[in-house]
Amino acid sequence: MNLLDIRNLSIELLSANNPILAVDRVSLTIKEGEVRGLVGESGSGKSLLAQAIIGVLDERWRVDADRFHWRGIDLMRLSIEERKAVISKDVAMIFQEPMACLDPTTTIGEQLEEAVDNEQLSGYFWQKRQQRKLAAAKLLHKVGIKNHELCTKSYPHQLTEALCQRVMIAMALAKRPLLLIADEPTAAMESTNQGQIFRLLASLNQLKNMSILLISHDLENVTHWTNTITVMYSGQFVEAGTTKHIFDQPFHPYTRALVDSSPKANSQIPVKSRLMTLPGSIPILQHLPIGCRLGPRCPRAQKACVQAPKVKNYHGHQVSCHYSLKDSY
Amino acid sequence: MSALLQVSNLSKSYETAGFWFNRKMITALDPISFEIKAHKTLAIVGETGSGKSTLAKLLVGAENPTTGKIKLNGQTLHHGNFKQRCQHIRMIFQDSGTTLNPSLTIHQLLDEPLHLNTDLNEAQRSVLIRETLQKVGLLGDHMSFYPHMFSGGQKQRISLARAIILKPQVIILDEALAALDPSLRSQMVNLLLDLQQQMGLAFILISHNLGIVRHFSDDMMVLCQGQVVEVGKTVEVLSKPEHKYTKKLIMNQRFQLLHK
Amino acid sequence: MARDKIYQEEEFPSPIMQLWVNFRQTPIVMIGFGCFLFLIILAVFAPFITPYNTIENHLDSILLPPAWHVNGDISYLLGTDNLGRDMLSRLMHGTSLTFGLSFIVVLISLVIGVIIGSFSALTKGLKSSFLNHFLDVVLSIPSLLMAIVIVAILGPGLSNTLWAIVIVLIPQFIHITRNAVKEEFAKDYVLASKLDGAGSLRILYYSIFPNIIEKIIAQATLAQSAAILDIAALGFLGLGAPIPMPEWGAMLATGIDNFYIAPWTVYLPGLAILFSVVATNLVGEGMRHALKLRKES
Repeated sequence: MNLLDIRNLSIELLSANNPILAVDRVSLTIKEGEVRGLVGESGSGKSLLAQAIIGVLDERWRVDADRFHWRGIDLMRLSIEERKAVISKDVAMIFQEPMACLDPTTTIGEQLEEAVDNEQLSGYFWQKRQQRKLAAAKLLHKVGIKNHELCTKSYPHQLTEALCQRVMIAMALAKRPLLLIADEPTAAMESTNQGQIFRLLASLNQLKNMSILLISHDLENVTHWTNTITVMYSGQFVEAGTTKHIFDQPFHPYTRALVDSSPKANSQIPVKSRLMTLPGSIPILQHLPIGCRLGPRCPRAQKACVQAPKVKNYHGHQVSCHYSLKDSY
Repeated sequence: MSALLQVSNLSKSYETAGFWFNRKMITALDPISFEIKAHKTLAIVGETGSGKSTLAKLLVGAENPTTGKIKLNGQTLHHGNFKQRCQHIRMIFQDSGTTLNPSLTIHQLLDEPLHLNTDLNEAQRSVLIRETLQKVGLLGDHMSFYPHMFSGGQKQRISLARAIILKPQVIILDEALAALDPSLRSQMVNLLLDLQQQMGLAFILISHNLGIVRHFSDDMMVLCQGQVVEVGKTVEVLSKPEHKYTKKLIMNQRFQLLHK
Repeated sequence: MARDKIYQEEEFPSPIMQLWVNFRQTPIVMIGFGCFLFLIILAVFAPFITPYNTIENHLDSILLPPAWHVNGDISYLLGTDNLGRDMLSRLMHGTSLTFGLSFIVVLISLVIGVIIGSFSALTKGLKSSFLNHFLDVVLSIPSLLMAIVIVAILGPGLSNTLWAIVIVLIPQFIHITRNAVKEEFAKDYVLASKLDGAGSLRILYYSIFPNIIEKIIAQATLAQSAAILDIAALGFLGLGAPIPMPEWGAMLATGIDNFYIAPWTVYLPGLAILFSVVATNLVGEGMRHALKLRKES
């Protein structure tokens, strides 16, 4: 069964003179135990999408969708508070720059204990304090921090970024979520630490059958650790499918350009030759192109691209393009 | 081709702040020697704390070396003599948010190095600024814009314009490509390759992304805690790493370098 | 080459223009700003436009109530005080004394504080710490008490009041400037300027000051409201302006004796002080709010 089923979600920015469609009809599905990557460069709206799923957008944004189901419950029918109650029980999120997400004035131990769920503690109220401490220590063990005493006594600035990210993951695991949304968890880290965090997420996925939505702008990083990928560009849905398909046979010109710019593809072209890129740059929110937003930069764009393309499905590989590259394979 | 930049025995150590009896000497960089030729790129790879930013600062003149000499075209470069150095070695920084002064227009920003280091008059300077902006792929009209109106990729291009406007011979890229999106990064790499061809520049690329290093550099140096662990041609170092640390680095980014 | 997307606006707002646009958006701040400008103009031109001379006594119309009162006279719009002097003229002249003097005081202490703070930020170690903290002893004593002490040493009088309050206000500018400049030095564009061969003074002037000027001005408005209150308080205590001068605090002090029979001699100067302090605070608050909005966008 699909854990999360989103169809044609749009997020509109209401404060400007004319409302801007920051995310334009994006669809996303996540099954149980799946690791899905959400790839897009800056300005693609992927963080907005994650925040809309969690429900933390303020009144400037309006979220609208044809279908927004969580485990079969239709979230668009519920009020905002009920939606938040349903989602916060089962979905957790970790962010970029973990050191900035932790409270700098309290120790890690106190913050972890705060995150521990009240319902999982049993016993009389005077026993709860001790159980909370035990639960916090267990969470730290789950993320691979063996000596929890040192960790619980320190403040966030005394730990490294990778360790802080593990603490964030521990806090996210406190409620035993079914879905963990990781919004660029390793953007601020070196490569050795990135590998550690990704291995941790992969092991959590396998051991606890927890689905993960991994948001990143780095296609090559994501392809190693995910089962399926969704690609977004400038707020629009571009392509979705299994990682193998997307990397070996990208149907959309944008995905093809992303794949070509990754080092794996470049290892075959001679050193110090020009890389294949799309000309131009990402459009800014105030001046979005009409129709397919890749239009001005796409090498295969023609007149029909002024209209937004519909999503076509080829055996589970979805692509949204008028002139997809499917026929060239 | 003779060497453009020769570094011999360059090292940096400093005392920690503290009371008189409590000060320790910390070696940020052990003595290091290397050479760079024109049209070539040297990549310096290492984790944080390995001394690569110290090396960048020493080369560009922001800090005083404890020992060692830097020679450019046979001439020794002295610390503190910025005017002599900035015509030959320039640097591009990482965080494009703080590389450009938010209160100055691009024209004023690019005018400053010209004003301080050349004898051109106003009109000639404007013409040179316009040409430089076009070389990096921006329009001449961008001169009157302020930095907050540009995107991250464009800000890095302006940084590059500021670096090449004095027609230097060596440019140091201090993690300049790390914060960019992949497509912008590729555009920037293409631009840098073009400029290297046209102007005969030598690049020193400081990065921890081995994919870019593999594509962009001729020689490679691996630093670990201030010491040179491995040095050689990029192709050889990446295919046959000898030191343990290099092997670990490559393992962590293995999926970037293998082709399926 | 590449077809980059550029701004398609016609004007190119500099950061200062952006600040002004944000500032303009709150109506109450604009009202405060208008009042502030009105007070400045009044302070400059008051000696020329007062209807009567401020120290001239009209002994036949002593303690006349303001014009809207039953016994009031339209030729003395806001009434007269116990010596027959016209309240309106005295209040207007008082603007140039209390308000104008506070402006000058803040300006002088700003300049001195910024110079010392910049030197403190440019040097390192003991010299820097000394410059930063040697006036902190002034900060530890309440400002009014400090001003009284200095005036007690130097003797009463308007110019001595000025110096007393200047000394009291300097330390905050030193700290703000030093912290702001130190923060700016850590940024890459200052390093780039240094590498281009710019001297320290040139870096300060071109690269650093444009970026910290707004913080300093926000602090200056805070300092000005404190200065207005200090000048008025010193005048009330008799330590500031000498008696015939129409400084608002001094007017309050003389009016207190006649409070029950002629309340307007007390509440009119009091309202004037309130008005100027509120206007200054609105401008300062508006500026801080505009700075915050600009940083967020």
